[in-house]
Amino acid sequence: MRRKMFGGRPVVEFQTGLQRREFLRLAGIVGVGAGFVAGGVLSAPAAGAATVPGSRAAALAAIETSDLDILNYALTLEYLEADFYATGLQSGLLTDRELELVTPIGDHEQQHVDAVTAALTAFGGTPVAKPKITYPAGTFASRDSFLQTAAQFEELGVTAYHGKVPLIKDADVLAAAASIAGVESRHAAVIAALLQGDPFPAPVEKAASEEQVLAAVTPLIS
Amino acid sequence: MSNPFLLRQSRQDLVHGQLSSVAPATALGALNHRWALAAPGDFASDIDVLNYALTLEYLEAEFYRQGNSAGLLSGIEAQYLAQVGEDEQAHVTALTQTIQQLGGTPVEQPWVDFGDAFASRDSYLTTSVTFENVGVGAYLGAAGFIQDKTILAAAAGIFGVEARHAAVVAMLLGLPAEGGVYRGAFETPIEKAEVLAAVAPFLAPSQMAGGMPSGAPETGGGSTVSTDRSGLITAGSVAALAAAGVAAATVQRRRADRPAGVTESADVTGDGSSASV
Repeated sequence: MRRKMFGGRPVVEFQTGLQRREFLRLAGIVGVGAGFVAGGVLSAPAAGAATVPGSRAAALAAIETSDLDILNYALTLEYLEADFYATGLQSGLLTDRELELVTPIGDHEQQHVDAVTAALTAFGGTPVAKPKITYPAGTFASRDSFLQTAAQFEELGVTAYHGKVPLIKDADVLAAAASIAGVESRHAAVIAALLQGDPFPAPVEKAASEEQVLAAVTPLIS
Repeated sequence: MSNPFLLRQSRQDLVHGQLSSVAPATALGALNHRWALAAPGDFASDIDVLNYALTLEYLEAEFYRQGNSAGLLSGIEAQYLAQVGEDEQAHVTALTQTIQQLGGTPVEQPWVDFGDAFASRDSYLTTSVTFENVGVGAYLGAAGFIQDKTILAAAAGIFGVEARHAAVVAMLLGLPAEGGVYRGAFETPIEKAEVLAAVAPFLAPSQMAGGMPSGAPETGGGSTVSTDRSGLITAGSVAALAAAGVAAATVQRRRADRPAGVTESADVTGDGSSASV
């Protein structure tokens, strides 16, 4: 069944899906026994990846260039988010329950960076470098400005992932992206609730094109 | 979980048996989120997946309809849970329309019994959190079976909203951030058999005694529609129609009173101008 997700285009195939999955598990890219379900997640990013024989790692280059591009797109956004929370949390703007709720978000974003980087490497791609990030003046001036910017980042991240879901060709890449997107949705909802905003802006997540997303983040990166 | 007797036993044990004091929420919370191979035959078609999702959404929508009518909540909690309930109803509508437009037969609404879930505010919200997290895992677990990319995108969009629900209700309960509000940096898929085991306790006895009705999740729907992809254009219009149902629900919601400070911060997909950060 999953073969159809390649759109019939020739790919370097493992003998069985299970064999491929087993390799990905060894590479720490998907969860153990994810099997037939699109359940592979980047649950153990980076761990073990370095121990994979190079010859087998090369085989993972089977995913299409467009999927590598999507992963690098995701990586850029995750770099931004991870840096944003690291900077904001260092600023000491939050306390108590808010600090407890936002601290894991920063941890998650860094785990996403690590996992997507590991996946790109394992698939034979070249992870983009972390961009130089410049935040608008006042971004970290107050609790409100920090969280309001966070809300925009999170909603942007959610819509960015959902914009790519129908374009991803590889089932494992899809599973990984979806498993990250769900967590970004949690982040977005929590931040909105902290701001007494609307944690459920629509019954179905919206999707944004890469052009829309890049238009939003380009002013921040170089 | 192909044995209805086991389902009945499960329900009796967990809801009306000796363990009733820890009933519905625990029944769901007891889910083992282990990784496991799903059977390749779990879903024969996209319609099967959609009917599986519809069954879960029916359960959720009815759960919130009853829970929100129980007078357990007030203030922002009542407002949030009302929105959650509207979302689930919108999902029911969208999935039903999509299945119909694909030529399939939507499963019927199952008979449900939520046991002691509405005994208190805490039991209601606790069951809600576990329900939502099962929904998140179910959608993720089924995503790989969806062949039509348009349907996949719609299912992913619902999946994300279920994750929002889970996080916010967990917040209301004051659950720990990690492990409560969040479930790690990556969502975890749940295979079909485990999802069905989790929701089995909520299926009413009449349903169990009389065999599984068409609305039961056991078969995932009885669709006879093949996975023929010739309807790609049709599928596109289907999604548009289903989206219209969701849009209508959204409009209705936005006309309603919203909590103070509600913003349209999510409209980053609008003209792009609001997306600058």
